[in-house]
Amino acid sequence: MKDRIFAKSSLPPISPKHCQEPLQNTEFFHKNNVSFSFSAKSYMRIELNHSATVKKLNINDVKAVSKMLAVGILIVIIAISAIGAGYYYMISRPTTSPSPTPEVTPTPATSATPLASLTPAPSSKVKDTLIIGTTDSVETCLDPANAYDFFGWEIIQSLGDSLVDYNPGSDQIVPALAASWTVSSDNLVWTFNLRQGVHFDNGSEFTANAVKYSFDRNIQINDPDGPYVGIGYGDIIKSVTVVSPYVVQFTLNYPFAAFLSLMACQASDIVDPAHAPMSNITWSINDVVQYHAGDPRASNPMGLGPYTLQNWIRTAGKDSELDLKANPNYWNASGGYPKTQNIIIKMFADQSSLALAIQSGDVDIAFRQLSSTDITSMQNKPNLKVWTGTGAFIQYLCFQEKYAPFNDSVARQAVASAINRTALVQTVFQGQAQELYCMIPIGMAGHTDSFKTWGAPDYTLTKQLLATLGYNENHKFTFDLWYESSGHYPSSAQQALVLKDSLEASGVISVNLQSLDWAGYKNARSSETMQAYIMGWYPDYIDADDYIYPFVSSSGDSWLHINYASATMDALVQNARGNTTQSVRNDLYSQINDLIAADCPIIPLYQSSAYAVTNPNVQGVYLDVTQQWRNWLVYENTG
Amino acid sequence: MSDCMTLRTYVIARILLTIPMIFILLTSVFLVMRVLPGDPVQMHFEKMASPAVINQMRIQLGLDKPLYAQYFDYIVGLFRGDLGKSMQDYSSVGQQIFSAFPATLELAICSMLIAVLIGVFLGVEASKSYNRPKDHIIRIFGIVTYAIPVFFLGMILQMVFGVWLHWLPTGGRIAPGMAPTGLSLGGIHFSTGLYTVDSLLQGNLTEFGLSLKYLLLPSLTLGLVLCGIFIRLTRTNMFETMRLDFVTAAKARGLKDSTVTYRYILRNAFLPVLTMTGLQFALLLGGAVLTETTFSWPGLGRYLVDRINFRDYTAIQGAVVVFGIFVSIVSLIVDLLYAYLDPRIRL
Repeated sequence: MKDRIFAKSSLPPISPKHCQEPLQNTEFFHKNNVSFSFSAKSYMRIELNHSATVKKLNINDVKAVSKMLAVGILIVIIAISAIGAGYYYMISRPTTSPSPTPEVTPTPATSATPLASLTPAPSSKVKDTLIIGTTDSVETCLDPANAYDFFGWEIIQSLGDSLVDYNPGSDQIVPALAASWTVSSDNLVWTFNLRQGVHFDNGSEFTANAVKYSFDRNIQINDPDGPYVGIGYGDIIKSVTVVSPYVVQFTLNYPFAAFLSLMACQASDIVDPAHAPMSNITWSINDVVQYHAGDPRASNPMGLGPYTLQNWIRTAGKDSELDLKANPNYWNASGGYPKTQNIIIKMFADQSSLALAIQSGDVDIAFRQLSSTDITSMQNKPNLKVWTGTGAFIQYLCFQEKYAPFNDSVARQAVASAINRTALVQTVFQGQAQELYCMIPIGMAGHTDSFKTWGAPDYTLTKQLLATLGYNENHKFTFDLWYESSGHYPSSAQQALVLKDSLEASGVISVNLQSLDWAGYKNARSSETMQAYIMGWYPDYIDADDYIYPFVSSSGDSWLHINYASATMDALVQNARGNTTQSVRNDLYSQINDLIAADCPIIPLYQSSAYAVTNPNVQGVYLDVTQQWRNWLVYENTG
Repeated sequence: MSDCMTLRTYVIARILLTIPMIFILLTSVFLVMRVLPGDPVQMHFEKMASPAVINQMRIQLGLDKPLYAQYFDYIVGLFRGDLGKSMQDYSSVGQQIFSAFPATLELAICSMLIAVLIGVFLGVEASKSYNRPKDHIIRIFGIVTYAIPVFFLGMILQMVFGVWLHWLPTGGRIAPGMAPTGLSLGGIHFSTGLYTVDSLLQGNLTEFGLSLKYLLLPSLTLGLVLCGIFIRLTRTNMFETMRLDFVTAAKARGLKDSTVTYRYILRNAFLPVLTMTGLQFALLLGGAVLTETTFSWPGLGRYLVDRINFRDYTAIQGAVVVFGIFVSIVSLIVDLLYAYLDPRIRL
């Protein structure tokens, strides 16, 4: 209905003598109310004339419209081309000079004393505040009893400390809060001599009581979400005893060769009893120190680290900013640590935002996660420095062995022989990862390239193996390959596509790709409905045990749902877990690796490299197999 | 007198109708989430978890109870104003939603302002130059901005203004350490959560300027994408209104062109634009997830997507309830404004 409000205004009236023509169009008259009847007559005449004029114009305008439309489209195309050309020439055009090689993190000389080999910054001035950009966020809280995520551990590391630590740039264990330690001959009792004169940030002294308090508390809280359950601290540690104010003793349930590595992980950081109190007569999950908006001290039970938490802004469950300030009571402050007084950590929603932020100078450092293409493009930029180091994240292919076809090891071996890891690493990650032929990562004790026995790839072997099962070019071996589609792992869809290509290049395999988002993927894994599926692993502690026990031992791999069990494997794994002689362990892991390669319950695919991008004056970045980001070592020279 | 009573009845009826609408929405979401593959209990365990531990988590999250018990527990909690605890980090869903809401509101208001101002102005200009070059160019502009993916436009603007020109920041809501805290008077603290407003309340013009600087790119991105709708809507309605007799009468009476355009034509043509403004604003209050992700804007859109990925049932239900209420309120306000502007509309 085209009725409209008649605009109220003091219009001059029209004399009836102007209404000369009788109303011809009855229909038009009925569309208007009576009060307009006089006006309608004269206006109708004008309206008709106007319509005729409009009609005449439309015919002539058809060509004009087409011409204008074409001009307009051309303008848009030119504009887009100009933007694209501008981007190419100003940002991504390669320079004529040789591409600078990515900065390799220096490996400091090893030493029994932590940080003694890390010479303090030269006397030139150091920037007071550094801004670090990341796409990570603390998942739950900063309490070691509950925090079981990468970023939560990174922040805990800045705010707290553990008995031992890793020497930056390596996986060598060095003293931290413990000055020295001994282990009994049966490998069941570990005695730590604590560093004296160490204080929490509130000034109270650090003693053996704090160590016992921390571990007793965390084990008894027994948070199902937390690392103490996930890693099995309660199964490993029988008791913690205070021998004297500066001597603490751990008695284990069984010899555990990776115990020092366990003590170096952030779940083993010592809490300040004053900020992690017991709310009842026994410890419970309610005692976990949660995030408190506007109160960073109440949100953080730590206190022995190089930094204190000044500000923690979390919006709708996701962090937007964390502010760290140097802890004046830090035990190693006399060594010049932390190098930078203030660290601001700013969160970004995705890789692209982070990449833009480091390029625009909104942040000084970008660490986790940047895409391969962004890293490649930033390597050529003179205003940015790309740091790289060995990563500890691996991805691998799992098989559901409960039913056909992968209940047969020959089928699994055939797939192993048809995987092209070179294509995977070069195509998907642009060379920013390493081909992995062993579940134990490169650079870690116990690594051997056992899966090279299947070729890289070897399609002749693939055909031979599948021929024994009755498959050939006319009757292909077909299976579903699953990957997660919500970005939980990097470039999952591309990885799956490359794997599919490499497997089908054998000529005797046909792959159906299937995907689910992470929640659905985990559900499908638990329901054991996926025939073959790609998974990933970040270590809890830096030891070969953490890459073997959770995958191929029947007591540790239930979470993976591959239904693999081997008595021989179990015996080897338990032996390796309990033997503290490294040479013996290496030999045992070599046997384990060979057995994994023979049985192929899982197939390692690649090992990530760690990358960070900084502005050119930043120093002190150490990227190593521990995956730790050490805020207290980074600095930027201004002088 | 009878018109006022009708309007009052209408308002009361609309408010009362919101309640069953929310319940239908909530029930649908409750059931759909539980049918989707994925289990919030499993999401807690990245690595190893024994069946006993998984069962313990299930009890902790209240998922061991029968479905009807979970539903009624939630409804009872709603009546008490409790949106429940997040299944991901156990914090209050209500606090999480309302911590994200100011950011979303700020972005929605600024984006709509830009969209309406640019869209209506260009729509009016296009209608005045109907079928002439100016009209075609404006129409093409509207089509292009509407068709362009919002994250692509956002990235282009970030590249140009952030990386190349260094004029504006590429993401975030405020510079590190500069978040305005609002007004503190005699021990009483008042904060809206809107950084522009809070900085003015504090009297800190530097922070006000910074908050505008960070707000400009995301709201410009979203505003440009949305203005295409308003350009077309305004243009079409303006052109239809222009052809009516009262406009011809106004012109015949010698009124200025701008007066006829803006006071007579636009006012009558604006009603559908107002409806669309209300609808779009209500949608934006649910969060513009692509824009928020591109600019790392901590709003409700990203929150909801994160929670859906985690299968955080409580958070999703809470967000849907709050969003449903927002939409109802906004559409009621739009209807009331409609009735106010158009005396012919009586209910």
